[in-house]
Amino acid sequence: MIRQTPLLAALIALLAASAARADTVEASSTTLLLLGQEPRYRGGSRPELVTVAPVFEILTITARDIENGFSDDLRIVLSTWGAIDLAERRWDAGTDGGRLTGDVTTGYVQAKLLDRRLTLRAGRSMIATGVARMIQLDGGQAVVVVPIARAQLSLSAYAGVPTSQRFQTRDGLKSWNPVGGTLAYGGRVAAGLPIPGVAGRGFELGASANVVNDGGETVRQEVGADFRVQPLRRSNLTLAGFGTFNLPEQRVAEVSAALTTTVTSKLHVTADFKRVEPSLLLSRDSILSVFTTSVWTELGAGATYNLGRGLHAGVDAHLRAEPGADGSGSDLGSDLRARVSWESGRTIAGLELFNLDAYANGYFGTRVWARRNLGKAFVTGDVLGTFFREDVNGQGESVTGTLTAGYQLPLGFTAVLSGSAGMTPYLEQNYDLMAKLAYNQTYRTAEVR
Amino acid sequence: MNRLALPAVLAATFGIVLAGAGCSLKPQRSEARQAEPKYVFPHAPHVEGEVACVACHAGIADAKKLEAGIRHVQLPKTPSTDDRCNGCHDTDVTVEVPARNEPFRIRIDHAQHVAQVKDCRTCHVKLPEPGDQESPAPPMATCTSCHDHQADFNAAKCTPCHVDLKGYVPQTAFSHAGNWMKVHGSMARPTAESCAACHDQTSCAECHASQVTPARPSVIYPEAVDKGFIHRGDYVSRHIIDARADPASCRSCHGSAFCYACHTEQGVTTSAVNVRDPHPPGWATDTGPKGHGDAARRDILSCAGCHDNGASSTCVACHQMGGVGGNPHPGSFLRKHRGEADPSSKAMCSACHTQPLP
Repeated sequence: MIRQTPLLAALIALLAASAARADTVEASSTTLLLLGQEPRYRGGSRPELVTVAPVFEILTITARDIENGFSDDLRIVLSTWGAIDLAERRWDAGTDGGRLTGDVTTGYVQAKLLDRRLTLRAGRSMIATGVARMIQLDGGQAVVVVPIARAQLSLSAYAGVPTSQRFQTRDGLKSWNPVGGTLAYGGRVAAGLPIPGVAGRGFELGASANVVNDGGETVRQEVGADFRVQPLRRSNLTLAGFGTFNLPEQRVAEVSAALTTTVTSKLHVTADFKRVEPSLLLSRDSILSVFTTSVWTELGAGATYNLGRGLHAGVDAHLRAEPGADGSGSDLGSDLRARVSWESGRTIAGLELFNLDAYANGYFGTRVWARRNLGKAFVTGDVLGTFFREDVNGQGESVTGTLTAGYQLPLGFTAVLSGSAGMTPYLEQNYDLMAKLAYNQTYRTAEVR
Repeated sequence: MNRLALPAVLAATFGIVLAGAGCSLKPQRSEARQAEPKYVFPHAPHVEGEVACVACHAGIADAKKLEAGIRHVQLPKTPSTDDRCNGCHDTDVTVEVPARNEPFRIRIDHAQHVAQVKDCRTCHVKLPEPGDQESPAPPMATCTSCHDHQADFNAAKCTPCHVDLKGYVPQTAFSHAGNWMKVHGSMARPTAESCAACHDQTSCAECHASQVTPARPSVIYPEAVDKGFIHRGDYVSRHIIDARADPASCRSCHGSAFCYACHTEQGVTTSAVNVRDPHPPGWATDTGPKGHGDAARRDILSCAGCHDNGASSTCVACHQMGGVGGNPHPGSFLRKHRGEADPSSKAMCSACHTQPLP
């Protein structure tokens, strides 16, 4: 990302300057002070605790429908942040470097052309379609939709430099990020048949490809196929599926499918399946990528039900098949979750239960949370407890709790003060404090065309 | 270049933009909508009495656009003498219709629609009554009863009719009910552009761009207790179990660099200044379930968290050709690559295969 920074900055700065003439501008600023402790191992028999106190400034701006002479819905989306560590450097700031850190989380310009059939995106954005696997690029993307009789053909292409871990610190191999590399490109072609009558009804079938190079070496080379079907007139029953084929290894890396449907106005059901070979997610220039072909599979379903009087309940159960002890065969496990939430007037509350039974270990957990609005003020509470099947760092449970209070100030500002405490396997007692001043505002022009 | 340079430039830009925006735009807060006066006019009896809408909504039939502050309402001043009203009104009723300034969320040419549709009730199936805070929007089914928007919908062409889709909750297609977090990835892969109609990528990036985000969402928004944020609470303790239970899930967002940064601080990476061995006795040499071989064949991504270091990987020292570690490749690998050209000519293979295969 470093080499592209000046160009990207200039581009965004230039276009952002026109955002004042946008129809809608959403702006937010969050100033955040955290105070807490982290363990550090500096030799001896046990780690020591250090105090971390980072201050973050997070800025986000979205400007839509910017007036211009060449495109519809010209849009600028930008989210960026900077931080300074007032005490010890926090662990997720990396293992070297100074106290100042920062990055661009998202920053792109989007324009629609040709009667909105062509979408162009440039800057730092994610590619969500097809086999790209949410790769984030400093680059560009084009999506064009071509109507052919009642059907439509969709073509997309992208190219750019994958964003790297901001605290990338090692030498040696270049790519050890799943999306790392020096150049990524790919695209997707899809044919769709929309069926009139119900929003979203129709069929779509797509094929996609993604290639990532790193210093001339190919580290990812995948093709994939996906589909989406919403066949019924009187139901939103939707089935989507996806498969990835790893070209260098000539193996199927992932197959997944999901179904979602609203059975009645109160009952919603989902189901999903996934089969994945994790080793194929490693860069192809990783030594470790040639050691195994283990397969992991998951199948399950969930439902949510509106019980009335503000009460909602949901359950989700998945069966999991992991590789056996030596990487062959299968070991069956499960992932179960349940949730109840309640809303009444100014109060919302919820209870969550979850149980993971996996080969290496498992846990049972519960989370209780609540929020009460008091005019312009609000308070929230959140307690999370986890009980491990086998001890983690010699301890069988972890309990953390957070209390938060906030107040809506004039002019779109909100002040929040939050404190957490807990007993965890890695910190016998830990306390964290957070103070936040957030500004959230949406601006619109007085006239809407 | 210092990584702070770009955020600094953007922060300055942000300020400029806001300053400019403040000159020409009005802030649009949720309270602003709440501050709007409630509706006062009883529509139901007038619809029942088949009073023409244009009797009160003067000018709407010629309006080519909706404008905030202009509601096209002009009630007859003396209904008792107005032929359109005096069938019911014996006396003059004074109703003060308060001004409303909330911008419209829909763009529509009423002049064109009224000329063709004639009956306003075709679209306005429900009208606001006294005490209502907001006017019920015409359901989109009324639009699709004439316009074939299916292709537009599938191509996510929601504008220009919709100003934006903020605040709309999908009810039919893409309904976010149920365990949406679990299935949203599968649903989005074929239709990401439809998602983009409502969601700017800032919302995706909070969870999916872990390499560039400042902190977990639950840290930044502790007050959002009802949200299904990822990695809540003491996730440090749970991540060991989750990572082994579903390594691909971690790997889809986090690269080894992420693991490495913290593991180095804890002294459990090979390059840490003070190294402590996280592996049990016999890990390097045992060939059974207590050894590293079975563990690596089972879950190589856990190894990669620390050892994915290219040619300088610790694996190479023992597993290179002629080394004591033997051949680590699974059977399928050998079947696929048998007979290929000299592996020592490939960059990655040459780390172990320093010489051509015999």
